[in-house]
Amino acid sequence: MSLDSRQAVATHDGRADASVAANGDSKGSWGDTEDSYGHSGPVNKPKSGAVRRARKVEGGIFFPKPENAVTIAVSSRVLFRTETEQKVFEERGVEEYLKYQVEHENEPFAPGPAFPFVKALETVNSQLRELYPDSEELFDIVLVTYNHAHVGVRLINTINYHNLFIERFCMTGGSSPIGYLKAYHTNLYLSADAEKVREALAEGIAAATMFTPEKLIEVSDTQLRVAFDGDAVLFSDESERIFKTHGLDKFFEHEKEHENKLLDHGPLKGFLEALGKLQKKFYEKGHRLDCPIRTYLVTARSAASSGIRALKTLRAWGLETDEALFLAGAPKGPMLEKIRPHIYFDDQMFHVEGAAEMGTIAAHVPYGIAQKHPHKKDSSKSK
Amino acid sequence: MNTDDDVKQFVTGVVSLQKDPSRAVVIAISHDAVFDLKEEQEPKAPAAASGVLNPGPGFPFVKAVQRVNEKLVEKNPNETLLFDVILLSSKDRPKSQSEVANSIKHYGLEITRLCFCNNENFTSVLRSNKVKLFLSTNTDYITKAQDTGVPAALLYGQRGTATLDQLRVLFIGDSLGFSEDTTDRPKDEDTGEDQLQSVQLTQSSLEDLVALIGEMRRKFGRENSPLCACLMTVCSPRNVCVRALKRLRAWGLEVDEAFCLAGAPQSRLLAHIQPHILYDHGLQYTLDVPALS
Repeated sequence: MSLDSRQAVATHDGRADASVAANGDSKGSWGDTEDSYGHSGPVNKPKSGAVRRARKVEGGIFFPKPENAVTIAVSSRVLFRTETEQKVFEERGVEEYLKYQVEHENEPFAPGPAFPFVKALETVNSQLRELYPDSEELFDIVLVTYNHAHVGVRLINTINYHNLFIERFCMTGGSSPIGYLKAYHTNLYLSADAEKVREALAEGIAAATMFTPEKLIEVSDTQLRVAFDGDAVLFSDESERIFKTHGLDKFFEHEKEHENKLLDHGPLKGFLEALGKLQKKFYEKGHRLDCPIRTYLVTARSAASSGIRALKTLRAWGLETDEALFLAGAPKGPMLEKIRPHIYFDDQMFHVEGAAEMGTIAAHVPYGIAQKHPHKKDSSKSK
Repeated sequence: MNTDDDVKQFVTGVVSLQKDPSRAVVIAISHDAVFDLKEEQEPKAPAAASGVLNPGPGFPFVKAVQRVNEKLVEKNPNETLLFDVILLSSKDRPKSQSEVANSIKHYGLEITRLCFCNNENFTSVLRSNKVKLFLSTNTDYITKAQDTGVPAALLYGQRGTATLDQLRVLFIGDSLGFSEDTTDRPKDEDTGEDQLQSVQLTQSSLEDLVALIGEMRRKFGRENSPLCACLMTVCSPRNVCVRALKRLRAWGLEVDEAFCLAGAPQSRLLAHIQPHILYDHGLQYTLDVPALS
């Protein structure tokens, strides 16, 4: 064999995973003992298969394949509070910022707006694992940040400190994280950077911008609650366009006329669908009433009129939310305050800000016509 | 060692930036990785000119290395810490030798040495040329080099998409992140004494290489650097990745990008990261990497 002969590395090209087998049948090396990182493996599984070549994680931890799991990518600025560091970056530039981060490497960050949401996802995961020990249909939380890897140590130290179950991360060192989102089959991306969120939406990835609120009200630690606005979030912005251009009366007319025509889908429809699939897994094991996932539709539409089209659309899609709240234009804040979702998605900053004022964790979906014609806050109303 | 075997051909007419051979970071790469030598097959594209070969998968790497050298010299005209790329070739293809020399000149590559060797003496050729890093698309040769203590890495080829503007080096960190006592290494029947010894041997040369790359990296700022170092752990939990980060840092290299896959499929991520070279000791963690697209 001369030096000239080339020998390509076995190009399984994605089908290498076939050796690890399909969802649920994988025979990895995880056992039931606690590994050195303090995580206990979820199941009693016999040790089999070559350890060294195993694609599963060493140390007894089981990680789902991205295409089987519901992948949630969060950026470091929404998972944790990093305002001080942000300031250093803005005022003194990237080199000083990185130096600062390394100097404070052993100081964990405080929880950010996405933190309760991530904790709730983990709670659901542990219950799913109990009911379906072999399944890969779980939430998979990935930290995707365009921070440089220098900050990596501090971020992982913080994850350890808060006991978060995040094993996957991407620190892109300044380049756009969007390509990585796609490589991970991301179902939802949460970031503090509206530009990145818009980029993700343009690529067909559900995404929303989160802000750090002044106060945060307590949320449930036993049930994941996700609330969605209707138009331009679950549904397309077609009806909102009518409203913005022709006013409320025309909007009602249009909705009545098209009551039986399905609305087009919006950017978060896929995420609701993913939640629905996981909910069904609980129902199948007799946990319908006490399902640890609960979804809400919170819309300005009216139950008696324009809301009908929304419901019919959801039904036709085979989707449903546990509760549908038709506010007929009333402010959303008080209703959300009662629901206390771990996250609420709305396309209008006006509503996001209103919710945040009352302590609700709200995320902005910068999609559709509302971005060009933002709702002006009525200065005569007090709150 | 028979010195007849270790014949160097100096390529004339190529301008070299090297100031001090003892400081050079010598990288050896097989000539058939840099140029496309396949005569048996239909050529993928017509030859650039007669007597000149088409670029191979290692070509973008060579160009990217050259740019690093240029930028280093820009910062300091007396810079001695530069990359020095040498080509390895077997002797039984005399025709291709002149084509290689012509091609080097045609593409303006900064390669001044072409070393001849065969299967048997190839590792001694590496040593006598003080090669710090050997690159190939041939996994057997990579393993051979690593077993005798020369760091060797895989040329990652996605033909036509690799960047020429920035040299991107990826370290697979799963074995770097294990702690000093080997109790948390994966237990495997074929980890014999020899294996461990070769790991240790290559580890110290790897340390040297990493320190040199780190030194070069520090000459540039965080942004717009012509050299980018990445770390990836493939099937280990996050703390292994962090330990690998710290180990590289202790050796003198602060990586720019870090990825912890924890079992997620590699190929899509790699296709996005687009490293020129992929360092993985023992090639245990790069099972589904396409070496050539």
